[in-house]
Amino acid sequence: MIRLENVTKVYKGDVTALRGVNLEIQRGEFVFLVGQSGSGKSTFIRLLNREEVADSGKILLAGKDLGSLRSWSVPALRRNIGCIFQDYKLLEKKTVQENVAFALEVIGQPRPVIRKNVPAILDLVGLTQKADRFPDELSGGEQQRVSIARAFANRPTVMLADEPTGNLDPATSVGIMKLLDLINRRGTTVVMATHDRSIVNSMQRRVIELDRGVVVRDDSHGIYDEPNGVYE
Amino acid sequence: MYRIWYYFREAFASIWRNLSLTLAAIFTVAISLALVGSSLLVREGAERATAQFQEGVEFIVFMNADATGEQDGAIRDVLENSPAIEDYAYVNQEQAYEEFSTLFSDKPDLVNSVSPAVMPPSYRIVPTDPSAANVTELARQFANQPGVKEVATATEAIRQIDDFSTRVSQALLIAAVVLVVVSALLILNTVFTAIGARRQEIEVMKLVGATNWFIRIPFMLEGTIHGLIGAALAIPALFVVDNKVLAFFQESDAVPLFRGFAVPDGFVWDTSIWLLLIGGAVGMIGSAIAVTRYLDV
Repeated sequence: MIRLENVTKVYKGDVTALRGVNLEIQRGEFVFLVGQSGSGKSTFIRLLNREEVADSGKILLAGKDLGSLRSWSVPALRRNIGCIFQDYKLLEKKTVQENVAFALEVIGQPRPVIRKNVPAILDLVGLTQKADRFPDELSGGEQQRVSIARAFANRPTVMLADEPTGNLDPATSVGIMKLLDLINRRGTTVVMATHDRSIVNSMQRRVIELDRGVVVRDDSHGIYDEPNGVYE
Repeated sequence: MYRIWYYFREAFASIWRNLSLTLAAIFTVAISLALVGSSLLVREGAERATAQFQEGVEFIVFMNADATGEQDGAIRDVLENSPAIEDYAYVNQEQAYEEFSTLFSDKPDLVNSVSPAVMPPSYRIVPTDPSAANVTELARQFANQPGVKEVATATEAIRQIDDFSTRVSQALLIAAVVLVVVSALLILNTVFTAIGARRQEIEVMKLVGATNWFIRIPFMLEGTIHGLIGAALAIPALFVVDNKVLAFFQESDAVPLFRGFAVPDGFVWDTSIWLLLIGGAVGMIGSAIAVTRYLDV
């Protein structure tokens, strides 16, 4: 599903975000990206979403080589990827259902499809009752659910999450993780960058640890900390 | 179909959100295009005004409408016998009226306000020697004859009209070009502001995979609408110029040839279509620059 071959990304001022990263993620996997701030997690996500282009190496996602992708075919790639963020990125002037519908509308989905899909997705994320509320009337957890609903509206095969629980309390975070787990069980590959130790430890999924742009650990059923306790 | 509705809805929502800037852009377009149109009208009017001077006619002797047969005969006598005159044609009051009616066929009010009885009969004269000095001298001699109302020489009249129309239409055109550039910049700025107001939406659109053109089109449509509305406002101004300003020259006695200074409504409509095209193009170009510079898609 996703393959990185010797990927390096250097930002202006010689800041190396990723260095010689090789890894493969299978369809349907749930992967945690862990590491300290500045370890390259966000860059990893941005490369997969093609917000950034690698300086060297090769990234394959759903059979597409992101390095040689023309700018006009980036939208087609993104329709296949759902993205969620720490700050939700919801449109304040649109209601919950309008926010979700917007994502379908702007990729040219016909209105009957939108009318049918939006309620189904709101039901999936448990926000049917709040369909007509505006984002600022919702709790943080609810806002993140809306953002997940929006990201999942077009049924992407890959879901990228950059610190999705970063602004949420532990109890709410558990709810969000259950939702991402549900989406994963429906066949969507999930890649989630996080700092949240308890979430990683309780989910027992694959853990990829980055340190200064290098993969230092890749456990198929890992926990947040390295088993021998070296990493902190 | 739904997509087209979406583009228009977004464009108009944005126009409404940004009304004061939009109005500034629209009025600037209107003023600049009104000037472009006026310049074209003046030029066309000048061409028509000089149309009587054709086939070698260098000067025209206008007789008083109430000139006596004796006075008329004296003039005719000179024309028949003078070696300085190659040829001439007499235009009687009836013919003058007819010419006038044709020239102003689309202004029945003006035609109805005159009758053959008030039209000056005239001689259109082809001199043997068409040099300016000779024509001026001949004109001076005829002007002093009794019964002559005035003499219009081609050189003088055409130079006057050319001078006048060239200067006026050039001045208008320069002002117009400057204002067209200003309006393109205003549209650019308005669309830039519109893009700023929708930054978040654009970010989400890119994120979920909206195509670049899907994001661009509403903004370009917005700019094009500015241009078209501006042009639409300029069109009535064009008719005012046609009816008031050009009519002022037609009715003035100061320069006899300005009476031919008229353009048919058909020409005004043609010019209007050009204004719409220019307006639309200016709006589209202004917004396209804004979109390519600031949208980053």
